[in-house]
Amino acid sequence: MPLYGASESFIMKKKLYIIPLFLTLFSFVVIYLSLQLDTSPEMIVGDSMQARSFPIFLMVINLLLVAILSLQFYKTYPKEIELEKFPTWSSMLLFLIFYIIILISGDMFVAIPIVMFLMGLTWGQKKVWVSLTNAIVTPLSIFLLFDYVLQVRFPRGWLTNIYYG
Amino acid sequence: MIEAISAMASVFTDPYLLTLIFATTILGVIIGVLPGLGATTGAALLLPFTLTMEPVQAIAVLSTIYVSATFAGSITAILINTPGTSAAAATTFDGYPLAQKGEAGRALGIAVVSSTVGGVFSVIVLCIAAPLLARVAYEFRPPEYFALTIFGLSMLASISAGGAVKNLIGGIFGVWLSTIGSERVTAIERFMFGNYDLYEGLSFVPVFIGLFAISELLVQSKTVNKIIETVALKAVKLPTKEDYKRIWKTILRSCGIGTFIGVLPAEGATVASMIGYSEAKRWSKNKEEFGKGSIEGIAGAEAANNAATGGAMVPTMVLGIPGSGTTAIILVGLMVHGLRPGAYLFTEQVEKVYQIFGSMLLANFMFMAMGLYAARLFARVSLIPISILWPIVFALSVIGAYALSQSLVDVWIALIFGVIGFFARRHGFAVAPIAVGLILGEMVETNLQHSLKMYDGQWWMILAQPLAAFFLVLAFLGLCGPYLYNLITKHKN
Repeated sequence: MPLYGASESFIMKKKLYIIPLFLTLFSFVVIYLSLQLDTSPEMIVGDSMQARSFPIFLMVINLLLVAILSLQFYKTYPKEIELEKFPTWSSMLLFLIFYIIILISGDMFVAIPIVMFLMGLTWGQKKVWVSLTNAIVTPLSIFLLFDYVLQVRFPRGWLTNIYYG
Repeated sequence: MIEAISAMASVFTDPYLLTLIFATTILGVIIGVLPGLGATTGAALLLPFTLTMEPVQAIAVLSTIYVSATFAGSITAILINTPGTSAAAATTFDGYPLAQKGEAGRALGIAVVSSTVGGVFSVIVLCIAAPLLARVAYEFRPPEYFALTIFGLSMLASISAGGAVKNLIGGIFGVWLSTIGSERVTAIERFMFGNYDLYEGLSFVPVFIGLFAISELLVQSKTVNKIIETVALKAVKLPTKEDYKRIWKTILRSCGIGTFIGVLPAEGATVASMIGYSEAKRWSKNKEEFGKGSIEGIAGAEAANNAATGGAMVPTMVLGIPGSGTTAIILVGLMVHGLRPGAYLFTEQVEKVYQIFGSMLLANFMFMAMGLYAARLFARVSLIPISILWPIVFALSVIGAYALSQSLVDVWIALIFGVIGFFARRHGFAVAPIAVGLILGEMVETNLQHSLKMYDGQWWMILAQPLAAFFLVLAFLGLCGPYLYNLITKHKN
């Protein structure tokens, strides 16, 4: 018997099945994409599997598991998930800003300090100089460590061009 | 045998390795006391730093982080009621209440001793069990490996975080991720969408950094305004004779439980500590003390979680099946450094294997010393504002993701998997099954292909192989056993 009564709103029930629906959709998309894959000649594959078989097999299992999950959701009402607050969404937005800055400058060491500085502020750091110092000293230290000790070469951009010459 | 002992002893006499393990133990303890970071995230972040090291040094660094961070989670569990790692969650049940009674030093002393005994015991078991298991694994053919990986995947159902079904869905998703790229037999491109950076498949390192470090960053962003209450600590006290009398049986029992749980594929320190704690309670004469500051509770949880570290290394090194999230990263470390895990590792690279075991043993003694003499100092590290700490983790994550292949694509992969990992965790899906699935995926598919070729496409012949059938039956019982048991008992009633 479901734990929630019939009086529960339809919207609540719909919310409940978003995850199983998403997973079902994902499985069907993968199956569709797998069916579009080329087939190999018999002499290569022999008695083994075609490249498409394994992902389809996985998604069929996934669909079975999603069905069990839906049944579990129906029987036991899952915990309500609180909507994330500003620091979480702003951090994801900062990932996007990080990507855009790299596209423009081509330089990780321009993007990292900017994102670190903004992340510090959005996570509640009230002293701007602390956030700024952290945003400059940390990437610089990591850069020097990777450049001198690990000999990793970073992509050329506004700042690294000056350093590499 | 002599060769093995001398290889282990060489770790204790190599000044470079000694310094490296000492420094890494400090780092591991710091990582362990910082709530949210933990052994898995720490190992994921440090993996790129080991690239230029010798294989033994690199794996020594990763395994030292594993053992020391697993122990250090108890420091914050006892002093601020916040487990530094999930493996120390059970320690809070009695550690914090004891600290509130003004006995924080005693609680920490018991945690240090229990963790060390657990850790050392499991390394000894590792040294004995791994070569024996390797001898058995030497006989494994594709059907056995296929069945073993299925068993490993089925064990994901019982990982502590998430539910059984959710963990299995996570594992299947991980296995599917392993199919991205060129298929190994036919070279057909799968799910690449024209991106040739994915031709060789998804790199483990950026995916792991995303799943463990970046997703944790997003999870921690929810705790921005959390107020932490600390308990004063004067000095760590070693257990008294009376304490030892009360806890020695608990420690020994938890050593066995922890090591056994650790050996099971995909199980880890968190499960071990919970079972260690509940068994300590079950066998105790003072059950009423549990939850109010029982020293047996602390010993039970701490001995078990550190005993799981050595146990988890057994399937990782012998079978290539990770025993936990952190050992999944150690496994990637082994592969990156050209040490292919499996039975051959124990015949062709014996010296290196025992040097790794030796460094784990050394790390256990080092964290003991640090726990006894510097716990107070390390506890202060946990008070670093998260607005400083997590931007640093962000920088380490993106640079670490870039470092291995020196490709920006890996940075985007890390960020994408960070967001995927966050949303997965938000809806109750643990990320460790995805990581384990990704590692085992290739093994499952390749061994299934080889098995089908061996038996001319007759898949049921896999079931006719005794060892393969044994593993498949174990997997079936692991998945359906609890439901069948419930059905039978219901029917009887």
